[in-house]
Amino acid sequence: MAKLILLWLKCVILYNAVGAVFEDQVGKFDWRQQYVGKVRFSHFDTHVQSSKKVLVATENNVFAALNTRTGELFWRHVDKSGPEGNIDALLHHGQDAILVVGNGRLLRSWDVNVGGLNWEIVLDSGSFQKACLVGQQGTVKNVAVLKKNIISLHYLSNGHQKWIENLPESETVDYQTVYSGGNGEVYALGIVPHSHVVIIAYSTDDGEIIKQISVEAPWLSNIVASCAVIGQGVLICVDSATPSLYMCDLHLDTHDLQMTQIPLQSLGLEVAPDFQPVLVSHQPNSAHQPLSEFFLQLGPDNFLLLQLNNGQIVTLRDFKPALLVSFATTGEKTIAAVMSPKNKTACSINLFSAETGRRLLDTTLIFVMDPNGGKPEKIYIQPFLKKDDSVGYRAMVQTEDHTLTFIQQPGRVMWTREEALSDVVTMEMVDLPLTGTQAELEGEFGKKADGLMSMVFKRLSSQLILLQAWIAHLWKLFYDARKPRSQVKNEVTIENLSRDEFNLQKMMVMVTASGKLFGIDSKTGSILWRHYLEDVPSNAAFKLMVQRTTAHFPHPPQCTLLIKDQDTGLTTLHVFNPIFGKKSHVNPPALPQPILQSFLLPLMDQDYAKVLLLVDDQYKVSAFPSTKNVLQQLQEMASSIFFYLVDSSQGRLSGYRLRTDLSTEQIWEVVIPMEIQRIVSVKGKRPNEHVHSQGRVMGDRSVLYKYLNPNLLAVVTESTDTHQERSFVGIILIDGVTGRIIHEAVQRKARGPVHVVHSENWVVYEYWSTKSRRNEFSVIELYEGMELYNSTVFSSLDRPHAPQVLQQSYIFPSAISTMEATLTEKGITSRHLLIGLPSGGILSLPKMFLDPRRPEIVSEQSREENLIPYAPELMIRTEWFINYNQSISRVRGIHTSPSGLESTCLVVAYGLDIYQTRVYPSKQFDVLKDDYDYMLISSVLLALFFATMISKRLAEVKLLNRAWR
Amino acid sequence: MWHRERIPLLLAFVQSVLVVGWCFTEMEAGPGAAMSTQTNGDRFKIEGRAIVPGVKTQDWVSTARVLVDGEEHVGFLRTDGSFAVNDVPSGSYVVEVVTPTYRFDPVRVDITSKGKMRYARLVNYIKTSEVIRQPYPLQIRSSGPHSYFMKRETWGWTDFLMNPMVMMMVLPLLIIVLLPKVVNTNDPEMRKEMEQSMNMLNPNPELPDVSELMTKLFSGSKGSSKAGSSSKGTRPAAKRR
Repeated sequence: MAKLILLWLKCVILYNAVGAVFEDQVGKFDWRQQYVGKVRFSHFDTHVQSSKKVLVATENNVFAALNTRTGELFWRHVDKSGPEGNIDALLHHGQDAILVVGNGRLLRSWDVNVGGLNWEIVLDSGSFQKACLVGQQGTVKNVAVLKKNIISLHYLSNGHQKWIENLPESETVDYQTVYSGGNGEVYALGIVPHSHVVIIAYSTDDGEIIKQISVEAPWLSNIVASCAVIGQGVLICVDSATPSLYMCDLHLDTHDLQMTQIPLQSLGLEVAPDFQPVLVSHQPNSAHQPLSEFFLQLGPDNFLLLQLNNGQIVTLRDFKPALLVSFATTGEKTIAAVMSPKNKTACSINLFSAETGRRLLDTTLIFVMDPNGGKPEKIYIQPFLKKDDSVGYRAMVQTEDHTLTFIQQPGRVMWTREEALSDVVTMEMVDLPLTGTQAELEGEFGKKADGLMSMVFKRLSSQLILLQAWIAHLWKLFYDARKPRSQVKNEVTIENLSRDEFNLQKMMVMVTASGKLFGIDSKTGSILWRHYLEDVPSNAAFKLMVQRTTAHFPHPPQCTLLIKDQDTGLTTLHVFNPIFGKKSHVNPPALPQPILQSFLLPLMDQDYAKVLLLVDDQYKVSAFPSTKNVLQQLQEMASSIFFYLVDSSQGRLSGYRLRTDLSTEQIWEVVIPMEIQRIVSVKGKRPNEHVHSQGRVMGDRSVLYKYLNPNLLAVVTESTDTHQERSFVGIILIDGVTGRIIHEAVQRKARGPVHVVHSENWVVYEYWSTKSRRNEFSVIELYEGMELYNSTVFSSLDRPHAPQVLQQSYIFPSAISTMEATLTEKGITSRHLLIGLPSGGILSLPKMFLDPRRPEIVSEQSREENLIPYAPELMIRTEWFINYNQSISRVRGIHTSPSGLESTCLVVAYGLDIYQTRVYPSKQFDVLKDDYDYMLISSVLLALFFATMISKRLAEVKLLNRAWR
Repeated sequence: MWHRERIPLLLAFVQSVLVVGWCFTEMEAGPGAAMSTQTNGDRFKIEGRAIVPGVKTQDWVSTARVLVDGEEHVGFLRTDGSFAVNDVPSGSYVVEVVTPTYRFDPVRVDITSKGKMRYARLVNYIKTSEVIRQPYPLQIRSSGPHSYFMKRETWGWTDFLMNPMVMMMVLPLLIIVLLPKVVNTNDPEMRKEMEQSMNMLNPNPELPDVSELMTKLFSGSKGSSKAGSSSKGTRPAAKRR
């Protein structure tokens, strides 16, 4: 009861304190884009002829249904990330989709129409190999799951296990695949590499072994890679060494079964050197046998359509060059689709009859490749029968950069999905450039002055240009007003991008794990440019830096992306223009040594590009750009350039100073004993953070000054001992210049993951309390005291007094995914913490709840200061969700960026989805609110005006009457 | 804003009571805490059912998930609203049904190392040892749709009239209009009395009245000739009052 009252009281108090989203603001300045990730399996829903669904299972453990008309999501199910949610197989039958999840841990069946779960069962442990649907007498009722040592059969209707059998000799035989031709038998195929193939046939009804054969195959090492089952149960394998095809009939019941060899030469074929040939077969319906036609890939661009006809292999057609092939079935017809290169920028897809290899008329489809994208990787064909019984189709092409493109004949792109955006690693928001006329004015000041007269002329000419632009603008307004509204184009393109008056619209530069870079307009969310970097290692770490902003016209803005291979430490730089995405003509230096640390200096070269310093493993420093001017500046500044290195594998933090010859010297070192704890993260402050509120005014009108050390680092450690009684989380605040430990705190009986935000004079961190089994927040604030030591400049080398440290902890009723603080232009607006929750909400928690000065007992002074009394539990109110019901799955990062308005902070949350919005931590104090009631104000004014008129008239009449009296 | 002033006091009182109570309960280790030592190998299942009263399950299950301890374990809802989170080791967990539209309260589920003794209770982060049992398998009933939006302040007559500025304007107006009707101004004694009180209010009758000055100024600038007679009339009228 007490808690209830407390809650109610808190609600009353905070009603005025915090703003939230209003219902009419939905979609006004926010947008969300939902992604699924790189597609691993895909099936078109052919259950109903008019179905618009395509099912996709992705490498991000997402299972979703996309609308084939628009590319939007019908529904999406996001499983746990990591290997436990990994989707191993997708089988599709009717309106059920069967998924094997987590290396054969779970078997799930989904209802495709509703998007709900039919059933889920736990499978016996064992490493998953293969699953297939099992049909009998023309209907599919079961699914077979093959694992390392067991095979089991389950009912499709409820998932119940029909039978489970141990595979014989599973220690020596590597069972790799399972096959069913719909005749009441399930075949498990295993192999002893370079010895023999084991074929076991089980009865579908009771799991009894019908037969068990082993076939000599000393040349074979992997069934999945080089074999396929075709026609009436014929196992066909290809060997690149001989080179030849091998066949054997699974149904034959002899014990001395042999594989018949067919040399490829006898068919007149040749394998490309160093190429492992691949077989592609197709089973249109699990209740029936596979086709007797199959594809044989002999080289990177050479496919053959072959047919097995009465034990003879016939070549139906040779496709060269061909990039990709695929089979597809509609009704009774099965077609083969072949994608072949047309010219440098386009590919063509053609359909061929699978039975004859004849080309189908009017089935050419042109796929135009994006020059900034990757090569095609897979094609999925959705065929359909037209009214005249001919075959039409649509195709979904997947490219190396994870893009899905859905095309219709003759080449119209219906939609594209940039699935690379499901894995954004880092991002920056860059100001848009000024318009041409604005830039002209700016340029006037940038140029060197050359005489009074020319300056006057320049001023006049730019003034003229402005006038011209204004007239043109007026004319356009007038012209547009006459046209119907639907025809007026308001599209954002790269050409008409320009900064708005409050700098609310920015360019979001996003770097994805696949190596594709995107430029997205923050207002609409439309992708303005994309650039695929081809030679990015799979385990690369990225760091994006803005070297030159758009403020230095006519110099183009410049971003530098540092791509580091995490195994070797070797680094490459990609320098580009963030507005257009084009690679810069500036050549980045080649970096032969692994790079340990990189940072931007506030120094600029003569072209206004900030200097990037790179420290290699020999502790040598190189600068980019490294012109004479820069080197000279560096020499002058060297004594005041400090940097730190973190070696978490040895628990070492060390600080260095730059020497004038660009070598370095170590000036401090802190070693954190590895046996007890390890460094989890090191957080400095954001370089673009400004704090224009130096202190806090106390209740007695004195000022408590903040300790604003820009060099402060927050080092988070976790104990190596994970036992819940002995584990702990530590936080150390170190000055990055001197190595002085400012403060150290330990949270006992706690463990990670620890999320930290370090800003202004405070550090907020979140951890899991193992004792009370709950998430807790802790806040540390640092204050100088009542007097400032040196109010003009902060120097780490000259601060004799240790700061006062205040700390308080709170309970948080949910786990969190990520955390970030809002950021505004001048740092006057109060701060909020943006907390990404696993439920998909982004909570905007006012920092005043995390204030170590919250008193337990309220006094006159604390009330004067507007401090909220201490309460152990922080609340989650759904009104504080900045993304209302637009939940964001697996939030990995939140990027905050200041806008031109002090009240407004731009927020981008990214994870599986991307969400962009604005937040107003202290409400919109510098612009009129969007619900400002113009009507009321003007009507009141008008009413008052008329009232004065009328009353004046009345008064006159009255006076006149009185005068007559 | 009177409530802002007073509530902290009240709150502090409630708070102190609460903190004391908390200290006592924290001493004893919760039953769940003793149980959460994990044994490897055995994996269990958390079962339950989520209900949104008055809404068809098909309309919301495709957007729903069951989260156990954040995203530690994930379960999905069947088309009838029931769920089972498989493969959970023994321990104590917070089970939550998450949808963007409907609100469900989280429930704590404890699984013993044998996997047999399971019980569910309401989540209480402050008093972790307090047990309010819930039925198992879980029956999680939605407490309604989420409220994400603040209400806009709408314009109403009552708000307008109760506004202190409006009150300040309206009340004197009423007094001016009504008082002469109530008090008989023709009574000479009364008039005398009033004049006296007016003189007391206006200690220096020589000083020109500001409002009078303003009216003179405005009427003079607007229409001088037309307002001439009327401005003459105003002065005696004002004086009489």
